[in-house]
Amino acid sequence: MKFQIEDVTVYFPYDHIYPEQYAYMLELKRALDAKGHCLLEMPTGTGKTIALLSLITSYVLSKPHNPVKLIYCTRTVHEMEKTLAELKLLHNYQTTHLGDRSKILAVGLSSRKNLCVNPRVLAAENRDSVDAGCRRLTASWVRAAAAANPNLPTCEFFEEYERAGSSAVLPPGVYTLQDLRAYGKKKGWCPYFLARHMVQFANVVVYSYQYLLDPKVAGIISKEMQRESVVVFDEAHNIDNVCIEALSVSVRRQTLEGARRNLNKMRQEIEKFKATDAGRLRAEYNRLVEGLAQRGNLALTDTWLSNPALPDDILKEAVPGNIRRAEHFVHVLRRLVQYLEGRLETENVEKEGPVAFVSSLNTHAGIDQKTLKFCYDRLHSLMLTLEITDTDEFLHIQTICDFATLVGTYTRGFSIIIEPFDERMPHIPDPVLQLSCHDASLAIKPVFDRFQSVVITSGTLSPIDLYPRLLNFHPVVSRSFKMSLTRDCICPMVLTRGSDQLPVSTKFDMRSDKGVVRNYGRLLVEMASIVPDGIVCFFVSYSYMDGIVNSWNENGLLKDIMQHKLVFIETQDVVETTLALDNYRKACDCGRGAIFFSVARGKVAEGIDFDRHYGRLVIMFGVPFQYTLSKILLARLEYLRDTFQIKEGDFLTFDALRQAAQCVGRVIRSKADYGMMIFADKRYSRHDKRSKLPGWILSHLRDSHLNLSTDMALHIAREFLRKMAQPYDKAGGSSSKTLLSQEDVEKMSDGNFNEMLY
Amino acid sequence: METRHLIKRAKYKTTAKGSGIPGVLEMTKNKIVFKPNDPTSVTMINVDFRSIKGHKNTKEGSSNPPLINLILDQGGSYIFEFENFSDLQVCREFVVNSLAKSGEGLIATSDRPVVASHDEQLSTAEMELRMKLLQENSELQKLHKQFVLGNILTESEFWATRKKLLDGDSSQKSKQQIGFKSSMILDTLPLHDARTNKLTFNLTQETKYQIFALKPAVQQAFLNLVPNKMTEKDFWTKYCRAELLHFKRNAMAAAAEAAEDEDLFIFLKDDDILASEARRKIRRVDPTLDIEADQGDDYMHLPDHGIFRDGSKEITESQHELYRRTFLQDLNRQGEVVLEGRTIDVELDNPTKVAEALAQSRQESDATAKEERLYRTSRMTEMEDLQAPHDHPFAPLFIKDPRDYFDSQQANALKTYDDTRAGTEQLSCSLNTEEAYGFLRSSISEIKAMGLSAHMVRPEVALTVINGLTQNISSTKYQLGKNVHESVLDRLPNTTKEELLHVSGPLDIHSRIIEALLVFISNHYVVSLCQGEQTEGSHVKNLSAARGNKGIGSLRAPPAGFPPCSSYASGSRCCFPTLRVGFTEENGKGWREA
Repeated sequence: MKFQIEDVTVYFPYDHIYPEQYAYMLELKRALDAKGHCLLEMPTGTGKTIALLSLITSYVLSKPHNPVKLIYCTRTVHEMEKTLAELKLLHNYQTTHLGDRSKILAVGLSSRKNLCVNPRVLAAENRDSVDAGCRRLTASWVRAAAAANPNLPTCEFFEEYERAGSSAVLPPGVYTLQDLRAYGKKKGWCPYFLARHMVQFANVVVYSYQYLLDPKVAGIISKEMQRESVVVFDEAHNIDNVCIEALSVSVRRQTLEGARRNLNKMRQEIEKFKATDAGRLRAEYNRLVEGLAQRGNLALTDTWLSNPALPDDILKEAVPGNIRRAEHFVHVLRRLVQYLEGRLETENVEKEGPVAFVSSLNTHAGIDQKTLKFCYDRLHSLMLTLEITDTDEFLHIQTICDFATLVGTYTRGFSIIIEPFDERMPHIPDPVLQLSCHDASLAIKPVFDRFQSVVITSGTLSPIDLYPRLLNFHPVVSRSFKMSLTRDCICPMVLTRGSDQLPVSTKFDMRSDKGVVRNYGRLLVEMASIVPDGIVCFFVSYSYMDGIVNSWNENGLLKDIMQHKLVFIETQDVVETTLALDNYRKACDCGRGAIFFSVARGKVAEGIDFDRHYGRLVIMFGVPFQYTLSKILLARLEYLRDTFQIKEGDFLTFDALRQAAQCVGRVIRSKADYGMMIFADKRYSRHDKRSKLPGWILSHLRDSHLNLSTDMALHIAREFLRKMAQPYDKAGGSSSKTLLSQEDVEKMSDGNFNEMLY
Repeated sequence: METRHLIKRAKYKTTAKGSGIPGVLEMTKNKIVFKPNDPTSVTMINVDFRSIKGHKNTKEGSSNPPLINLILDQGGSYIFEFENFSDLQVCREFVVNSLAKSGEGLIATSDRPVVASHDEQLSTAEMELRMKLLQENSELQKLHKQFVLGNILTESEFWATRKKLLDGDSSQKSKQQIGFKSSMILDTLPLHDARTNKLTFNLTQETKYQIFALKPAVQQAFLNLVPNKMTEKDFWTKYCRAELLHFKRNAMAAAAEAAEDEDLFIFLKDDDILASEARRKIRRVDPTLDIEADQGDDYMHLPDHGIFRDGSKEITESQHELYRRTFLQDLNRQGEVVLEGRTIDVELDNPTKVAEALAQSRQESDATAKEERLYRTSRMTEMEDLQAPHDHPFAPLFIKDPRDYFDSQQANALKTYDDTRAGTEQLSCSLNTEEAYGFLRSSISEIKAMGLSAHMVRPEVALTVINGLTQNISSTKYQLGKNVHESVLDRLPNTTKEELLHVSGPLDIHSRIIEALLVFISNHYVVSLCQGEQTEGSHVKNLSAARGNKGIGSLRAPPAGFPPCSSYASGSRCCFPTLRVGFTEENGKGWREA
């Protein structure tokens, strides 16, 4: 359908539209007009992605003199694929209605592992070796050597791509990773480098958060994006964590040992070069004297990770004299590693700020702040000079240099925490030194500064006023949308007691209680017997899930559960989990029905949809609080309190509840879908906890569903399922329309949509 | 082999709750005898299977004791409690068999001559099929008894209305294999007795097969080792030892043992076949759930970046990974195997053959596996309710041929009719028929005044009316059953029929069909609503004007004075069609006159 939002003609690929999608587009459009950032919360299952894509592409179409690029960030590769598939649908619609005028180029960008088509490289086991395998075939010096000696292996796909030169371009269209691979195979061009190259010309780029947020990666991939871009962070409820992770480094014993090996290797290389090709080292020295840490234009394949510090904070000065000579630099690194080893020997937990750490480093190892700051760039330069190709062998020293650069650059927002062992397993010594970032606004700041509009959107951004504080920005639009329902297709419940009226909870003192474990098990058995198709269960942690499944097995409850449905479980092994998910879907498809056990904050909770028959019920066992004794968490809480005046308790509850809401929100994909959500913990009945849930869940949480026991929940579930099985009118009753046709949209004036907002 | 004779210890009870009298229950081909242990007791039961109408029993796993309840023809019942559920199972099967046989005997004695006299040309196969159907379906058997033996219908007439049963059933029942139980893994695990701390392994042919299916490495090892290197018994002993080590969850001990005994190592190490299979499968997995693809998608995955020991992250003990196959992994594996189903079709007696067949089927499944990744992704991304539906692989609920619909409603109609008879007001419908009629009438007049718009009828109204209409049309047909070639619709005036077929054709069942019917009614004013021979129908206006009568609503509940049916207990209501037709005609005349 086609309709008008103010001065923009929107092309929407479906015959109908939800009113909230229209309202969402309207707000988004206003934010784009204002050239500002915005924060939009819309319930899952209301078609955020397609609304967003169609508005932005239509916006570009209606303003041809001002081409806006869309940078769409997803958290996972499968979300990237989903987004691209939706975009493809939209693009097909637009090209049939508008012709070639609406043709765009959209590419997804991922790692070499997901894009490589070279069978020899792919045969390698894990990702790091795909990267290294690629470099071994494509690095500039390898190719130079191969030009002299044709027996040396090179990558035929890359060679072909290079030969095609500037004519190697993607024709307009939407390319998923799969499409890119297929196109690359067909043309014989390397899809990875082709995509990397096309990113700067594409109208829409879809990639992972890190490509924009992690300065190490963003420096290479995203440095050429123009200011007139719209950046979208989808499913952004965890964005603060991504930001923090991007600037955090941890050093363990293995890292230091590896770094030592790396240093030895480098020293040997240096000796070798000194003997054979001393000119090379001298040339590097001269370059450094001139103040060029980076060696001008590198070949495409030689790019390394950029500096881990944020672009604004990198000094544009010459490398300090004491590390210009290769052997001196190696020596400095040696001292650094030695110092870190000494620090790891501690028996107590130590916590200090970067300033204190640097000054202590200066006194003990004689390395000053400025030297630290240049570590990464200097290492980079040295590695290139030494022509080291198997970079995955040198990851450890790289980590050390990252650490050094970060600690030398930042004085606030970070802390250094040394723990001799994990508190949950005090018998296993595993010392770790962590440089952890506490301030999410640091990493995202360059993005807000650089791009004209940044859209942060998710199904759960409640409380919506917290995100601007955490990320330190000022949105021009900050809205939370309701879900208009044709029928009450979601049914949240809070279960506080088992059938025996004893409270259930995963509180630390209760979680291993036999009665609680049994009551949780009975709940699942009963539900499995009445709910059709798929059920998803979320637990608070892997260890808790492992324990509870084993005790269910021992007391026979697991057998009862399996009498009704097959059981699949998320494990920490991603391959296994992926296959389990695949089988889970198969079981739901074939009608056998299945239960998926998963973990809040796990990979599955983060991005897998359990829509339609893949999830008719979600049970959240317990409140997924973080491990509150974690030193890093405590340090972060302290920082948040001091800097942003956010209370510890508030933040913990907010964090736990956003995870819970995220878990249960995965059941709804559209309004034709339906699902139940059970929050099984007595703590959810407390107002301070519950009120942190997003509005669209709260508005369906009836007062009578706030304090249920298993049998009451069972009764409600039966009623609900029966009600949902009835045929219904998709367009909604006469009172409020929940599905708008083109005429409806045309008739409605903008004023009518204010009711969609909270 | 079925047993001809069965003796079990049981308690006789008069009610399910009471304590009961212990004794011995003896069942033979056609008799049930119960002798109490206490010879002085007067309770002694001796009944014929023929006098038993049916049975009920408690389900295994329920909280009730194993009870069987034999219901007598003359009313009353015998309840027996068994010592355990397996006894109950055996007994139940016996009862089922015996009941079927006594039923068969009944038909055999009374049925054959009748059939023979009416339809000489019937093939024996056809006969057998009918017999079988009658045996399987007691409801049908009763009807048959009533009509055919009561000389109301001839044999061919009786079967003519049930053509579908005759040709559908037998051909569809192809050989179906029973799949694995969802909890099959629990069968392959040892039983642990916590009191004596004893582990019991129970290996049957079935469990061996399941073990092979679950653990390709064990199956491979079996093929390699047995019988060249060790006997089958040794093999399974080794296997049990390995399982024991697993059970103890002591990875260290397992590692130590495996180091000493290389055969044991096979059972303890990770399954290579599974691992390679996983690698292969991961390439085919639906991209929308491929978590594996994310692994290190942050351009350059560095170790030790990000927060290592955060409160939200988990910790694992990484030592002896090799020997730590977890129960959770086993559960996932069992899910996979259960979904694959039984891939082989050989006798389970010989484990070697089973293992070979499995190995082969595994290779075949590799070859036949297809890719449907792309298709699935595109389906996943679309929002189903925002656009017109896709062409589904299944047929949507949709009345293609109204004839089919009305025919299929026949059984329902009969049933509801009975319910109606028993008490119209009990229906879950919140409207009574008068109200429904009122609505219908106002709707019709509205339509007549304004034409048909996208007008909604209240669902309850719609439901009541549609039920009334369907039932009547269908039951009319049923009661006209004598002439099977003529469907109800054929009896309607031609134009009406066309209209009905036309309008109801492309509509789905709910909401809109009632509009269609309203159009139909208001256009033609002809409804073949009344029972029996009355095909002229009644003018709707007249109906509406009908003096305080219940109007269309009266279709559901027979009006007062309607001749009762003596045989309604059996579920059919056609004993006195002539009487009823007479009544209806009179009633109809009243309407027409009014």
